[in-house]
Amino acid sequence: MNKKIQKALAVAAAATLTLGVVSVSQAQAAVKSVSIAYQGPLSGGEAQTGIDEQNAVKFAIKQYMATNPAVKVTLVSVDDQGDPSVAGTVAPGTAANKNIIAVVGPAYSGATIASLPYYKAGRLPLISPSATRVSLTNPKDKASFGGPVFHRIPSTDAKQGPALAKYAVQGVSNPKVFVIDDQSSYSTGLRDYVLKQVAKSTLVGKDSIPNDATDFSATLSKIKSTDANVVIYTGYFSQASKLIKQLRGAGYDGVFAGGDGVLNQEFADLAGKDAEGARLTGGTIPLADADPALEAKFKASMGVASGVYAVESYDAANIILSGIAAGKTTRSGMLNWIKGYNGTGVAGNSISFDRNGDTAGAGFINGFTIKDGKVVSKGQIK
Amino acid sequence: MFSVLIDEFWSLTISGIALGFIYVLISLGYTMVYGVLRMINFANSEIFMFGTFATVVITRDVFHYTSLTESATGFRLVLILVLSLIASMLTSAVIAVFVEFVAYRRLRARGTNKLATLISAIGISIVLSEVMRLLTNSRPTGSGRVLEKISLGEIWGANIRIDNVLTIVAAAIIFILLDRFVKLSRMGKAIRAVSMNEDASKLMGVNLNRVISTTFLIGGLMTGAASFFFVTVYENTKFNIGFTMGLAAFTAAVLGGIGNIRGAFAGGIALGLLETYASAVLGTQWKAVTVFIVLVLVLLFRPNGLFGEAIQQTRA
Repeated sequence: MNKKIQKALAVAAAATLTLGVVSVSQAQAAVKSVSIAYQGPLSGGEAQTGIDEQNAVKFAIKQYMATNPAVKVTLVSVDDQGDPSVAGTVAPGTAANKNIIAVVGPAYSGATIASLPYYKAGRLPLISPSATRVSLTNPKDKASFGGPVFHRIPSTDAKQGPALAKYAVQGVSNPKVFVIDDQSSYSTGLRDYVLKQVAKSTLVGKDSIPNDATDFSATLSKIKSTDANVVIYTGYFSQASKLIKQLRGAGYDGVFAGGDGVLNQEFADLAGKDAEGARLTGGTIPLADADPALEAKFKASMGVASGVYAVESYDAANIILSGIAAGKTTRSGMLNWIKGYNGTGVAGNSISFDRNGDTAGAGFINGFTIKDGKVVSKGQIK
Repeated sequence: MFSVLIDEFWSLTISGIALGFIYVLISLGYTMVYGVLRMINFANSEIFMFGTFATVVITRDVFHYTSLTESATGFRLVLILVLSLIASMLTSAVIAVFVEFVAYRRLRARGTNKLATLISAIGISIVLSEVMRLLTNSRPTGSGRVLEKISLGEIWGANIRIDNVLTIVAAAIIFILLDRFVKLSRMGKAIRAVSMNEDASKLMGVNLNRVISTTFLIGGLMTGAASFFFVTVYENTKFNIGFTMGLAAFTAAVLGGIGNIRGAFAGGIALGLLETYASAVLGTQWKAVTVFIVLVLVLLFRPNGLFGEAIQQTRA
């Protein structure tokens, strides 16, 4: 190696070490402020999900800061675009930022799987408000198990899949079900749990459409030739809005149903009139239903109404904030706090985590529909 | 497995042809430039993307059609469609000429090798797509339904929809106009001359720069028309829409024989049909695999594509 380069490297290494030591000792001296990260799609096709969730986290931090606490909390936004390949590039930086002691997120299952190696290595605790893929909390699945750092508030696709399948055919006489996924890890996982519930005799067809597809005419023809009257799409809302427009454009007037990936106000905004009556599910409850007074405060404080997964994001942030208030200002302290946490969420449900990171006790799945261009809750699917 | 192909053959065929015509128009953007310069215009996908936004701006911002408003009818419908078509064609044409100006002309004047211009074209393509990404915050943009997708009736059980018919008829007219222009007009002759032999045509007094700019302009007009049909049929766009559509159209151009106008036509229609049939029979997840297997097979037996390379072969 060139001598000059060697010298330069040595200087750089020494500088990193000294600076590193300085910052660590400062951090240990007196913790005056720590950071919470929010990770999810803040730009890209699914941005609305991340913006909604992050708003709820911001709101929780705002309320916490208003109590004039000893330890200040700042928010670090981590934009993974909901995309595993992007998540793999932003997660190392988040893991390396020692000031971040916990993450609300990642929002999406695929992005979570891609981020996990860095967060596990950095022992950075996570509480996701919306990643529902079952394998994330399955210790037998070595490739995507998130323990010990990963936790989540919503119930998993093992619950959502069957609920979605049930909700989609509710009131449909002689249902003929056609199931479509978008090939992502969330979508194929949810699809498998949907298929478990759909009776063999009612399943008339399946398709798998990459999530950058623009033309669905072949799928539409299949739906038409199988005479399907219930279409279940397990992908995300930006593709779902294209799909439902083309379905309705082609004269399909049956049920369109989707999971929490589709459950978003922007689905209704993008698809317009065609989205009316769509049946959507999610292990989430709207803040306005859970606590109308809090929703009013949210609106006054944030200037916008709360979005999907606001309750779960707010709960996740509050678990972390209560830990900080109790003096847990390191990652390991926070991880222990979360593991031992036992409290009540906004919706009045008790929250504690089992050893794999799932919320203990029975979760719920709510049904939603689009009415006059707005997402409307229809209550729990039983 | 094949039952859907048999049951829905004609409806699949019609939507395949409509999609194919959109590919034809975009692939003309690649083929025209390749025919004259022997270079791939990698920025053509972004030229397409900008065109789609021009239609969205006209319908959404000028005429205030959102996804919730009722569709237009009568004279107003025709007015909006024609204005959107013109806006998309002009926007794409302006961007195409701009691309030629910044990414090709200066480098050509300095006599750099062709790889340098290839890289500069990729560069400008990234710049264009990032500009739109920042303008739209990476989010998908829906377009209101200006044209109600009414059915014009059924032929052999296939639902004949107005947007498909519009795409097929209008795109065919545009294609024929282009074909006639290149074959019969003075500028068309110049384009073919440059395509055949650049130095000789220069000696004959052909203004090379003007011919090349015109080629980009025509390629842009064609691509812009495709953008309009795309938004009218699919009612959405996004900053990265050019990648998928551009790749498909480029494939179509190579399939038909890049540089050859009628090859682009054959390639585009063949690709549209192939994609639709493959998705229906094998499932959409096999679409890209099937398309590229067919492309490889065609190139094995006809290395220059179905119709062979170069614009000059289209002469009468």
